Amino acid sequence: MIQIFSVSKSFGGNIALKDISLRVRQGEFVFITGPSGAGKTTLLRLIFGTEKPTGGQILINKINLTRIKRLKLDMLRRKIGFVFQDFKLINTRTVFQNVALALEITGERSTIIRKKTHQALRALGLEKKENAYPLQLSGGEQQRVAIARAIINDPLILIADEPTGNLDPDITKEIMLLFRSINLRGTTLVIATHSRELLEDTGQRIVVLNQGRIVDEIVA
Amino acid sequence: MRLRIWTYLFKHGLMNISNNRLTHLISMGTITLTMLLFGSFMLVSYNLNNWIKQWGESISMSVYLTDDIAEKTQQQIEEVIQQFRGAELIGFISKRQAMLQLKEGLGDQAGLLDGLADNPLPSSFEILIKNAKENQIDPKKIKVSLEKMDGVEEVQYSEQWAERFKGLLDILKIVGFIVGAFLGIAVLFITTNTIKLAIYSRRDEIEISKLVGATDWFVKIPFLFEGVIQGIVSSGTAILVLFFVYYLFSVKSVYLFGLPVLDFVFLSQGHALMIIGFGVGLGLVGGFIAVGRFFKV
Repeated sequence: MIQIFSVSKSFGGNIALKDISLRVRQGEFVFITGPSGAGKTTLLRLIFGTEKPTGGQILINKINLTRIKRLKLDMLRRKIGFVFQDFKLINTRTVFQNVALALEITGERSTIIRKKTHQALRALGLEKKENAYPLQLSGGEQQRVAIARAIINDPLILIADEPTGNLDPDITKEIMLLFRSINLRGTTLVIATHSRELLEDTGQRIVVLNQGRIVDEIVA
Repeated sequence: MRLRIWTYLFKHGLMNISNNRLTHLISMGTITLTMLLFGSFMLVSYNLNNWIKQWGESISMSVYLTDDIAEKTQQQIEEVIQQFRGAELIGFISKRQAMLQLKEGLGDQAGLLDGLADNPLPSSFEILIKNAKENQIDPKKIKVSLEKMDGVEEVQYSEQWAERFKGLLDILKIVGFIVGAFLGIAVLFITTNTIKLAIYSRRDEIEISKLVGATDWFVKIPFLFEGVIQGIVSSGTAILVLFFVYYLFSVKSVYLFGLPVLDFVFLSQGHALMIIGFGVGLGLVGGFIAVGRFFKV
């Protein structure tokens, strides 16, 4: 599903990633971990196509991201859900409108959009917050809205950057259970985190980054 | 693109206007002001051109006769005038009528003429030459040939003074063109920057839409719709304000050389459509340039 071959990325003179090679199979659940500044977010952004590598090749579902055209990248993003560290919600739109946006851009029928959005919000326990605006929600609720938007299109891959970074332990546990259930439905998951607690007894593959390099790969 | 996407995008454009009322009011106010400036310039230059055209198209000619002219000679002159192509004999003004007209023109000052022993004013034939340029009629030739006739003292025509102003009017035209061009650029600059600022406040919305897989056009079109709506409303308001100001001023007429030179007319339908088109174009171009800046995701 995700194939990364000798990828490097530098910003000006700063090297963020160096000679990274990684393969994630369809339906796999992978954690990317490492200290702050290790290159976790950069690696996720490269997979999502918001950054281009300085060297190497990235293939997503056999599509080469280094040579992809704008329109094709837009189409590919509809198959990849991304949960951003800062949620990236539109503050002037309601929770419902934020989640529905991911379907509206595909030109889906409004009846189907309404139905699927209600379902997604219900699945994440947000049915009572549909008409609220993001800034009226708690951090955990905003995170769940971001997840609802990321999964509403039944993506092939779900990427999450520090999805539990600002959440309390109970909500963290809840969100990790949600990710597992999404993974069980066949979605490939790549989650970046620096939280050790999150990685304990997961039974999943963990890729450890440090100073822009893969230093270890383990199964916890 | 499917119809339901277009409907969605249009609805979305309207929703954005409603959600961002203050920003839209500010940018529409700015566009209205700049369009008002542009419209005023168009109105003035349109009228100026009209006057120049009117003066050039019709020439009024006065054939002054000698005091001792015989009736037969006067008839001969009248016949000659009627033979000129394009010339229309408007009438004959006798010495007495000329004096009456002068007294009328002087109004309260007419008493000044009471001391005159004889009437010094000549009698005259009044001629109108229509579409002189189009029909290639040279008033100078008519003047020369009439002045050669017995009984004709002098021939004067309106184009003579218009010709004196021709150089000035030509300069005015060039200045008008340059001012118009600069004004156009200034309007474009102000409008695009206003729209840019309005869109800048919504850059997050653009970025997030792109991140969830929206195509460039999906993001751009609502902004372009907004630009078009802003353009129509702003230029329409500018035309209404301009018409109101025109209405207030058009009540008064100003005369120059006895001609109602400030016979002000309002912009034609074509010009009004041009202003609206310009407003819409500005909204579109402004929106297009502004949105493009936030597409680097």
